[in-house]
Amino acid sequence: MLKFRTLALVGAMLLPASLLLASAPVRAEDKITIGVSLPQDDNPFYIGMLKGIRARAGELGWDVATVSSNEDKLKQINGVQDLVAKGVKGILISPIDAVGVNAAYDAAAAAKIPIVSLARGSTSPNQTIHVAMDEVQVGRDIAEWTANKLGGKGKVAMLLGPSGAPTFRNLAQGYNEVMAKYPDIQIVFKSDGPLTRERGLKNTEDALVANPDLKAIYAANDDLALGAMQAVLAANRNGQTIVTGMNGVPPALRAVKEGNIAMTVELNPVLWGRLGVDVLATFLKGDKVEPRVFIKHVVIDSSNVEEVLAKMAPPKS
Amino acid sequence: MKAEKTAHRVNWTGQAPLITLIVLCVATALLTSRFLSPLNLTNILVQSSIMAVIAMGMTFVIVGGGFDLSVGSTVALSGCIAGMAMLKFGIFAGVVAGIAAGAVVGFANGLVVAMLRVNPFIATLGSMVLVRGVVYIITGGAPVSGEDGLPSAFIAFGSARVFGIHYLVWVPALLLGALSALLYLTPYGRRVYATGGNKEAAYLSGVNVQRVIASTYIWCGALAGVAGVMLAARLQSGQPTAGEFYELTAIAAVVLGGASLQGGEGTLYKSVIGVFIMIVLGNGLNLLNVDSYWQRVAVGAVIVAAAAADRLRSRN
Repeated sequence: MLKFRTLALVGAMLLPASLLLASAPVRAEDKITIGVSLPQDDNPFYIGMLKGIRARAGELGWDVATVSSNEDKLKQINGVQDLVAKGVKGILISPIDAVGVNAAYDAAAAAKIPIVSLARGSTSPNQTIHVAMDEVQVGRDIAEWTANKLGGKGKVAMLLGPSGAPTFRNLAQGYNEVMAKYPDIQIVFKSDGPLTRERGLKNTEDALVANPDLKAIYAANDDLALGAMQAVLAANRNGQTIVTGMNGVPPALRAVKEGNIAMTVELNPVLWGRLGVDVLATFLKGDKVEPRVFIKHVVIDSSNVEEVLAKMAPPKS
Repeated sequence: MKAEKTAHRVNWTGQAPLITLIVLCVATALLTSRFLSPLNLTNILVQSSIMAVIAMGMTFVIVGGGFDLSVGSTVALSGCIAGMAMLKFGIFAGVVAGIAAGAVVGFANGLVVAMLRVNPFIATLGSMVLVRGVVYIITGGAPVSGEDGLPSAFIAFGSARVFGIHYLVWVPALLLGALSALLYLTPYGRRVYATGGNKEAAYLSGVNVQRVIASTYIWCGALAGVAGVMLAARLQSGQPTAGEFYELTAIAAVVLGGASLQGGEGTLYKSVIGVFIMIVLGNGLNLLNVDSYWQRVAVGAVIVAAAAADRLRSRN
């Protein structure tokens, strides 16, 4: 029995090392490797973005090294440090916070490695390029669409994003800017927090209890919108309270097709990832790139959702 | 007691955490030459620093026979309070306020666990949620960095070095020395081990066990406060969402370091080794480009193995 225990103990001590050994990939060292650090590895938006990055990098003959952070800022800094130590040639990052992960940008800059922000941006002076959406304009477009749909009057609820992230502040700024032009539209409910379906559901339930005659719900992203949609359906308000989303992830597009979400804005994450790699490639070649590059966005509603879904269907990888 | 019994034998199982760490480092170094680069080694020290401080506090509580799930929320609270106080009254006041906030949470935990005798798991689960709520209330959910950011000297503390070593690394190094002396050389330290090992016996031999237990929570809270201030410097802001799940990493590190969740056993420096094992494993997996989903599996497996090893050891 003692022998078994000793063996088991030795096994436990060797486990961490053997996990490393077992997982070590065999690869050529001479390829260009770029590093990628995204806020979440279980969110459809970032999964799509990573897919685009991998696809475009593959076409260029590059390797991709990813580190995960799961919305933990310190972990994102640590991961970028690991990428720098690994000797990657460039880094694509979607920073969790505009200020909180500046140390990651400093680490890249200290090693003279270009660091390109995708989607969310940073205040760091060491951010090489920001591949962004025109957030304020997207907010304006959503508001304009909603105001048209409502005929310029009614009560509106806003489910904002995490308050620290400038993306969601900018979206809301554009939205409010347009809504201010419509005196008969009132914003009666506002909440900020994580971008989850669960929160979208709960907040919408509350908003509907407080305002049974709610006409529209602005959701800062599609996950929130999908949650809001569930609450609207459960309250039998479908068709009377419209929900708008943002991002254009597949489940939201299907909901637009079924008429449960009124509109969303497509920010094709796959194309975003590809654009990020292209921007980095241009920069590494030594060509000039503007510090801010905008990705195109498309408003999707019942009029064009079929088209978009059809376009997405064929290349199933 | 245990030390006496095994003193005449080579007590290699007592060094299990260190052996694990060394084997892990050797394996990683063999797999990638980048591991031993000076840059990566400094990275590992900096990456371990904040968790090392939290794990030391957790060691106090676990040695005393308790448990503290609230440290992650406390880290966020201290970071945000430090940031807010700093913007108004200067760096020194900010640092003091941050650490004091942690100590206050620890004091409250200590009262509830030691005086009201609430199960520590439930008591600190409650304070974990409560404190996180307070953080959101005082910050309004937004990061604390003021109009022009936190004072630059404070931000420098999060990245600058003195004698070639980051300030962030000096903090746990100095704390480890001072707290080890407290825990191993003073009567207070002996009372903590006695209380955690056998509460009844400690009580019968005249130890004020309630007060000792409460004190371990205050240490844990204050050290989480120190970690919160360090994290605020690292993140250049007080972050209300910071520190989520840190309690689990800290507890795992302490168990990896050979502490017993039954109380009465545990060593500060071994808990720090436990932190190093977690950080080096993550660092190695990143350097080797292992998929993040598999990284979770690996980290989980290591924690289970450590807990199992703890049980096997204690039956020897």
